[in-house]
Amino acid sequence: MSSLVELLTENFGALASGFWVTCRLVVGSFILAAIVGTLVAGLRIAPSKWLQRLGGIYVETFRNVPLLVLLVISYAGLRRSGVAIDTWTAGIGALGLYTAAYFAEVLRSGVFAVSRGQIEASLSLGFDYPQTLRRIVLPQALRTVISPVGSITIAMIKNSAIVGAALALNDMLKEARILNSQTFETEAAFFWAVVGYLILTLAATVAIRVLEQRYAIRR
Amino acid sequence: MGYLFDPDNWEWLTTGNNAQFVFEGFLVNIQIALIAMVLSLIVGLVLALARLGRNRLITGAVGVWIDIWRNVPLLLLILYVYLAMPQPWKETWENLAPGFLSDVLQDGSVFAALIALVLYNSAVLAEIMRAGILSLDRGQNEAAVALGLTYWQRMRIVILPQGLRRMLPATVSQLITLNKDTTLVSIIAIQEVMRHGRILTGQNFFGGVQAPILQVFLFIGALFIVTNLALSRLSHSLEIREQERTGTTVEPVTGLEDQVVIAQARDS
Repeated sequence: MSSLVELLTENFGALASGFWVTCRLVVGSFILAAIVGTLVAGLRIAPSKWLQRLGGIYVETFRNVPLLVLLVISYAGLRRSGVAIDTWTAGIGALGLYTAAYFAEVLRSGVFAVSRGQIEASLSLGFDYPQTLRRIVLPQALRTVISPVGSITIAMIKNSAIVGAALALNDMLKEARILNSQTFETEAAFFWAVVGYLILTLAATVAIRVLEQRYAIRR
Repeated sequence: MGYLFDPDNWEWLTTGNNAQFVFEGFLVNIQIALIAMVLSLIVGLVLALARLGRNRLITGAVGVWIDIWRNVPLLLLILYVYLAMPQPWKETWENLAPGFLSDVLQDGSVFAALIALVLYNSAVLAEIMRAGILSLDRGQNEAAVALGLTYWQRMRIVILPQGLRRMLPATVSQLITLNKDTTLVSIIAIQEVMRHGRILTGQNFFGGVQAPILQVFLFIGALFIVTNLALSRLSHSLEIREQERTGTTVEPVTGLEDQVVIAQARDS
């Protein structure tokens, strides 16, 4: 037990910086995933067959490829082919685009939860299609998908550990591995890494619960 | 685009036995995935049943167990199990691993990888199965009790067939995630497809020049897309067959990393 506390107090700087890197990764990826996910969901429900297909291809591609493969492609692969991408862009890009596929699927299910009648009513009131989406469908869809979006966010926080392993980013897990190789205190080092991830996932859980209580539509 | 489709950059695929080398690595992933899938489904079912049991103490303990393993990053779990596993365990695996597995899988590190994968995925699958069972109408169980069926009869004849069928899409989406997650075992130096890709793109392998990383890993990614799409096709046809046979509908569930989401949509 004492070695647990000792490891934390002696290496607090390293662990805290790892935590901070993971935080930035998660926030950046979440924003990217939300934007791209919404756009792809928009494609998936667009009135044109071809746009729907395009969105479908995006989702099926990014959902079925391992994140590790995406990370290798987005950093080492692009760099070798002459694109000067840096680790942060590659990491946030890969994690964000990967999560966006799940985001889009969830949003789409939320849109389908809005009944057709509402869309038809809105169209017959003279709204055009984009207006209907923006004013009628999306506000309701977003409120029904709060809890699944929370699940995706938690999965994304856990997936952020893969980014640190694939790229030269010293995130939570990477710092714990460095500590482990320096001190051979495997249990203690990994324990604090788990605590770091738990703080983030619990924070996400609480945030989702608050949002749900305030906005969720229960059906 | 020019770079991507330049035939020179795809030459590696037909040179020597490069393609075979990638496939050999991929086969290791498939084997690890299959073993982990079978074990996770069995352990997951046991956990789900224990979680739904009548003993408060057991259900509470199992709930904590599930929550612990579900909420840890899988990569961290793989690394930790590998580092913390006592040497004798690894040796036991090396001695006892079934002979039909390829040589790579005879290594002790594979045992650590399997334990981590099963700990994590059985916890997630247990939650999925529990959700499926709980989504059944209470009357089903009550009717079975009224008919005089014992606990195991109720489970086997009434509850499980219906509950698990409902959760088929979610289960398959988790198995797809498991299939993708087998690439993570490359971190503990198991020679699977990511490692093979790295070797190919390393110096002096491809006849003295490096195979292009982008193309090699796009190819590997395509292998995963093909197998995972095949998996979801399979689940889809199973669903349709079940629907035709039983007249029940399967809950629409979107594939969500490792979480269960039952779409509220039942389009009006």
